[in-house]
This record gives sequence, C-alpha cells and structure tokens, in this order.
Amino acid sequence: MNELWPRLLVNYPYLAAAILFVIGTFTVLTHPNLFKKLLGINIMESAIFLTFVASGNIRGGVAPIRATANAEAVYINPLPSALMLTGIVVSVSVTAFALALIVRLYRVYGTTDLRRIVVRRKEVTGDDGFAQG
Amino acid sequence: MRFRNLCFLALALLVAYVAIMTVAELPPYGRPDNPVHNQVAERYIDGALTETGALNMVTAIVLDYRAYDTMFETIVLFTATLAVVITLKTGKGGGREQ
Repeated sequence: MNELWPRLLVNYPYLAAAILFVIGTFTVLTHPNLFKKLLGINIMESAIFLTFVASGNIRGGVAPIRATANAEAVYINPLPSALMLTGIVVSVSVTAFALALIVRLYRVYGTTDLRRIVVRRKEVTGDDGFAQG
Repeated sequence: MRFRNLCFLALALLVAYVAIMTVAELPPYGRPDNPVHNQVAERYIDGALTETGALNMVTAIVLDYRAYDTMFETIVLFTATLAVVITLKTGKGGGREQ
C-alpha cells in the first residue's frame, strides 16, 4: 500500500484505461437506453485497446516503419498494435450487430428504453421475459 | 430503482479498486526493458524487412506472419454483415416499415 500514487502516476495510460473501463461498466449497468448501453460497451472496448497499445510503447521510441527512421532508432513493439487491429474488427462487428438488434426492437416495440420494452412485452404476451419456458 | 443504482455503484467501485490495484502492480510505462519487449518483438523488428519485404512492421505481422488470423477476421466481418442483413430484412417486423 506504500507509494501507491507514484506507481499509479508512472502508469498513467493504464490508469486512464482503468477509469474508462469503469465508466463503461457503470454506463452499461445503469442506463436503460439500449443505445447508451452499447456506447458503454464501446467505451470498455476502447479501454482495452488503450491498455494493449500503451503496453507496447517505449519512451523515445519511433513508429515501427523502416522508411522514416534512422538506423539506431529504437522501434516500439509492433505486436500489440497488430493484435488490436483484430480487436477493432471484432468491435465493429459486435457494434453493427447490436445496432441491428436495437433497430429491430424499435420497430416492434416503438422504443429503445429497456424498461418500457419489458412493460410492453408484459402487456402483449403476459410474459415478463424472465419466466422459464 | 435507487437501491439498484447504489448496488451498481458499489459494483463499479469494486471493479475500479481491482483495476487500480492491478495498474499499480504493472511494470513502469514506456521502459525498453519491460517484459512486453521480449524475443518475439525483437524477431518481428529484426526480421520483418528481410523475411516479408514490408517496410511497416505492423503490416508485416497482420498480412504475413498472421495471415490466417487476418483471413478469418474477414470471415468474422462477413458473418456480422450477414447477421445484420438477416436481422433487419426477415421475420415479423422486418423489411419495410408499415
């Protein structure tokens, strides 16, 4: 527990990522609007991307491209950046599918508010969506 | 509803505590001797130009060393597109709005 603040401030990109992740979690849990839940998921994804890309960085290093640097330059780690390209594609796919589901829900129920969707579902079918079978 | 939000706040504070304690234990940011910069990264940095001919090492990794990963990534993208079209164009409430 001693010297907690210096260790946190040295790792300020990771700290920012942790704060972003908590903001995303809180948004997903508390907002009834489905678009805002999706925004929270995207904020959490951004936090993960920030963690990975920051872990590959070196202070004073240059981007890992041969053409732009002199011979004795220190290149940053190219592997986390390459892995996060894959992550960004998955993030875009998940976001697109979730948006499609939200549009479909809006067409059926006329709202994107999760509480109203549950209420209308109960009115129409007598089922609150949580009962078994 | 207020009680629920208080529960969620407690949960978020728990997540924040765990994340911040993890950040405090991580190796210092930006040092060249961090365990992330091991022999794998060295191999990519030293061998990318001679082994693949790409000047950009990220391009070399994505399109050459991990080409299968990129290929199946396109399948992920294709499946997502397919799922979006199926979700929006079929079934009850699908197609054009009434």
